[in-house]
Amino acid sequence: MRVACIIPAFNEESTIANIVQGALKHCDSVIVVDDHSQDSTPEVSQRAGARVATHILRLGTGAALLTGFRIALGTDAEAFVTIDGDGQHDPREIPILLQPIQDREADIVIGSRFLGRHDSMPLHKWIGNKFLSIAASLASGVRVLDSQSGFRSYRRSVLDYVMHTQRDYGWASEILILAARGNFRIKEVPVRTIYLVRRRRGAGIKDGFKILYSTIRPKSMAQPTVTESER
Amino acid sequence: MMEPYAIAAGAFGAAMLVFTTYELLRRRMSLLGYFFWAILWSALILVGIVPQFYSTLLLATQALGMYTPLHFVTTFSILILFAVVYYLGKRIAELDDRLSTIVQHIALQNANITAVNPEKGKEKPLEPKSSS
Repeated sequence: MRVACIIPAFNEESTIANIVQGALKHCDSVIVVDDHSQDSTPEVSQRAGARVATHILRLGTGAALLTGFRIALGTDAEAFVTIDGDGQHDPREIPILLQPIQDREADIVIGSRFLGRHDSMPLHKWIGNKFLSIAASLASGVRVLDSQSGFRSYRRSVLDYVMHTQRDYGWASEILILAARGNFRIKEVPVRTIYLVRRRRGAGIKDGFKILYSTIRPKSMAQPTVTESER
Repeated sequence: MMEPYAIAAGAFGAAMLVFTTYELLRRRMSLLGYFFWAILWSALILVGIVPQFYSTLLLATQALGMYTPLHFVTTFSILILFAVVYYLGKRIAELDDRLSTIVQHIALQNANITAVNPEKGKEKPLEPKSSS
């Protein structure tokens, strides 16, 4: 199975090289979408072996992933992996995410921080993630423990049918809701999460409310249905 | 004799009218926008030169059941400002969407497609899908 890995990145020069090199061990191609970093993230990524696309303005994680998905869909990859560029996820766990796709057990596989060890997760993030996951589960009709995880894998057919529109962190819930409406199978697998104290970033409380709003009211779209042969 | 506020209002209105006309001549403003602002600045000049003009609003004020022309002016000014804020917010959102599309389009065009995977040497690097 040919796999493309997409990494949205913003000011990740200290971690991106390891992520790219780690991902290249399991993926045929790595696409880094630099969301207008102020450091040398694009140069470091390219030197590490990634294909780099750069936003000339900062648009947000969702928009960076959208750009990455569009590039990846232009290749012959059969599956896509997304991973954060901040070193929060371990690229050595990519095969765990790809296995259910390969075994045709799932169309989207979420690397769940709540199924794995998550004792280093800050309390406010734990509460926020739990709350948003419940909201996403209610909106999608599929029980999801970690709707905000950026460590995922997708079968190509999923992205051929559904694509998120949210430019910020709301993309994570939106794509799950749209995929669930399209009868795509979603599965969670446990992954480790590495929270570095000096690099705590990501969604804040304000983002949490925005995600909740977009989860409750995702943009309407035609509901795609897929047959077993299309999967 | 003109009151100081009337002189200030007239002078300010005249200066803004000249500036707005200059902007139109330099093609930095649409004709529709120019008419809107020209009417507004002209009314300000009129209030400065002929303060009695203000009292002509009394008719409209009475028709709407308001106590004084001041109520009429402030109420409708606030309503118009809300409408302008709403329109501007909508327009900014539209422009933001367009900007996002342009930024992503540029990123896609400039994406470096030469990088290959040095680790998986035996496998072919991913090729862009043919359009056929």
